[in-house]
Amino acid sequence: MSDLLHNQETRPADLPAGAPPLLTLSGIAKYFPGVVANKDVSIDFYPGEIHALLGENGAGKSTLMNIVTGLYQPDEGELILDGYGVRFESPEAAIAAGIGMVHQHFKLVSRFTVAENLALGWRETGFRLSASAMARRAEVEAERYGLDIRPSARIDTLTSGEQQRVEILRVLSRGARLLILDEPTAVLSPLEVGELYAALRRFRDGGGAVILISHKLDEIMALADRVTVLRHGRVSGTHLVAHTEPSTLVTEMIGRPVEQKSDYPRKMPRTDDDAVMVLENVSCRDGAGQMRLHPLSLEICAGEILGIAGVTGNGQSELSDLLAGLRSSETGHVLVDGKDMRGRGPNAFREAGIGYVPEDRLHKALAPALGVTENAVMRLFRTSPIGGRLAYHASEALRFTRSLLDQAQVSLAEPATPIRALSGGNQQRLVLARERMISHRALVASYPSRGLDIGAIALMRQTLADIRDEGRAVVLVSEDLDELMALSDRIAVLCGGRLMTVVPRGDYDRARIGALMSGRNGGASS
Amino acid sequence: MSRRIRLSVVPARRIFIGRALALGFVFLVLALVLMLLGLNLGTVATLVVTSTFGTEFGLENLALYMTPLLMTGAAVWLALRAGLWNIGAEGQFLAGATAASAVGLFLPFPAFVTLPLAAMAGMIAGACWSAVPAAGRAWLGVSEIITTLLLNFIASYLVYYLVTGPWADRVTGAQVSSERIHAAIPTIYGVVHWGGPLALAVVTALGLLLGRSRFGYELTLSGSNPEAAHYAGVSVAPRLFMALVFSGALAGLGGMMEALGTVHRLQGGLAHGYGYLGIVVALLARQSALALIPAAFLMAVILNMGIVLQTLQVSASSVLAITGLLVFAIAVSDELAAYVRLETQK
Repeated sequence: MSDLLHNQETRPADLPAGAPPLLTLSGIAKYFPGVVANKDVSIDFYPGEIHALLGENGAGKSTLMNIVTGLYQPDEGELILDGYGVRFESPEAAIAAGIGMVHQHFKLVSRFTVAENLALGWRETGFRLSASAMARRAEVEAERYGLDIRPSARIDTLTSGEQQRVEILRVLSRGARLLILDEPTAVLSPLEVGELYAALRRFRDGGGAVILISHKLDEIMALADRVTVLRHGRVSGTHLVAHTEPSTLVTEMIGRPVEQKSDYPRKMPRTDDDAVMVLENVSCRDGAGQMRLHPLSLEICAGEILGIAGVTGNGQSELSDLLAGLRSSETGHVLVDGKDMRGRGPNAFREAGIGYVPEDRLHKALAPALGVTENAVMRLFRTSPIGGRLAYHASEALRFTRSLLDQAQVSLAEPATPIRALSGGNQQRLVLARERMISHRALVASYPSRGLDIGAIALMRQTLADIRDEGRAVVLVSEDLDELMALSDRIAVLCGGRLMTVVPRGDYDRARIGALMSGRNGGASS
Repeated sequence: MSRRIRLSVVPARRIFIGRALALGFVFLVLALVLMLLGLNLGTVATLVVTSTFGTEFGLENLALYMTPLLMTGAAVWLALRAGLWNIGAEGQFLAGATAASAVGLFLPFPAFVTLPLAAMAGMIAGACWSAVPAAGRAWLGVSEIITTLLLNFIASYLVYYLVTGPWADRVTGAQVSSERIHAAIPTIYGVVHWGGPLALAVVTALGLLLGRSRFGYELTLSGSNPEAAHYAGVSVAPRLFMALVFSGALAGLGGMMEALGTVHRLQGGLAHGYGYLGIVVALLARQSALALIPAAFLMAVILNMGIVLQTLQVSASSVLAITGLLVFAIAVSDELAAYVRLETQK
């Protein structure tokens, strides 16, 4: 066994000899029908280290963490906590043993205050509750872990960064020694990311163990002490971060080296740069009457990729819904090819040749319970040959679906399968292929790389560049600055629903765009 | 080692086997109860089978039960396609019967004019009865389950008022009943009228139309995920409204058939629970409109069985108990059918 692990760096660098791991996974396996989710997974997690778990979607990270947190039982292998074999029958058992998880989607009660949410997790919360006692307690805990919170604030008034702090504090205050974070930086502004890093390092230095699930390489290089790469449900390597290179990790993660291009040059010179869509002074409010998008004007031109940068939830989804006609503007105009689209619905935008890959594909662009066929024709069921004024031709729909599956490179024997039975990546590919077919003029793509693995992301980016080369416009909403800077001809930065500025390709500066994203007016450079 | 996992797509064969087992289970429980009541199982079984299938009266009864069940079943099924629960088929059925009876009682036309008029009146009345809940659901998000259900009671008491008050029978003095309606749906054989074949045709047409029309696709999409339907450019609210209104019209047509074909009078209790049993029929039929036919048949057999049991001094509520048990067993079997044993190697 030991020679098998010969090239694996199984212990942190500066660990005193003989210090035992906090948690050991030994030969863990988990099977689902037709899928090996995990197999032969052996990892040691030591106190005082930040251990990153890297892998593509479907590599088995989530399943493994569900086993560690007691949601699933392993089919083989065992969990060893402090030297004793344990079996977590439920998430409560894992929490009681000191294992806490901060999920990507926070599990907080949004109408409760911070103190009330913290009290929810406390075992000692008594029958009688006093607001002041809860607030005092919250402050004590916040002090102890050095996390800055306002106990009396309601959760729905907090930014996602603040909510995350509450979530982390709740897990820690329940006595967690092992903290698991799932993609923690996805919802944070660059400034908040720094604060999170500091808090995690503090926790580690106090002897806590952190498992960081991520597929952002730079994040892992900056924060983690060790990294374990998972591929096809198995461990493909464990390394000290200080001794490894990002390219090694990528190769291990996907089994072959993939070059993440930082530039997608045009294959031919741009011939046409007329404005395809023009936004004049458009704005949006949400149901509660709060301004989600402040009046802004923007031109989208043929043959360009316009990037939209911003921390998630700063008006991007409102803007992209507007561009696709799913939402109408309170003020101003949306012009497509010079025509005012006021009062026209999503179908008019589709007819005008605007495709849309929305952020939450499964719930917004697909009907999960319906078959793949019904979903494939969702945007085109009115047009010949699938549909007529009244008719719907099931056989034509099936033929169309098969060709779409081909284009999307999804192999599926039975198109009547409900689409929710497909993997997230395949759902995403189908939506992208469908919308590409529609977008004669422009494609609005919101977070198109979410849910895709690195190989598929490279393919998707190339597709966007191809669409641009064909003289169509692409609006790319993303939280990944590298992606935006590699693809976009211009980057528009949104913060708090305001258009901060539009940066042309020549002036890209990571620090400046980062500052704009967190609301500071990029004054540094001017 | 083996574990059980849940399939996301359940093969029809598994569902079918599960349901056969569920039906078997229901009969087993029924047999047990009958035994505890001190009845001879052999006698009961013979009696049920011979009186249902072995006599002209039984077969006629079966056909007469099936007709309204097909219509209310189709009504509930249509709404379910749009993700809506029409609990009000009972009320819509009564509204349709009332309107059709009004045409039959008070308009002095020959039958070939009266019958189409009555059918139209029945459908319009049923549609109107569901229009308010439909509008509330479609544009205001008011739960259609509550509103359609509550309107049932209003329809029921309205019929009682009419048949004991202004429309009461003053010729023969029949209680809680209108006079005999002279226009009648022509019969095919014995007392079985053309409503049955019409109901079969309606169900078949419904299946074909929804499967091959844009409206059917849009309805399914709106029912399955309204947000995605909006994205696909479908106006969801009008579709939901139409679905519930059409659903009401189908139930109303069923009411017309019952009043002018089977009972020939407007009576209190005319609906006989057909509206509620229609929910069971639609649930049994699942996705397919054609499956409404065997489902309605099964329900008709159970209703007939109830009559036989009553002659053996078993309470009339036994039908409800059996139906409830059946729904329960089938819901459980459909769920269990999704689970398969998975063998894992060591």
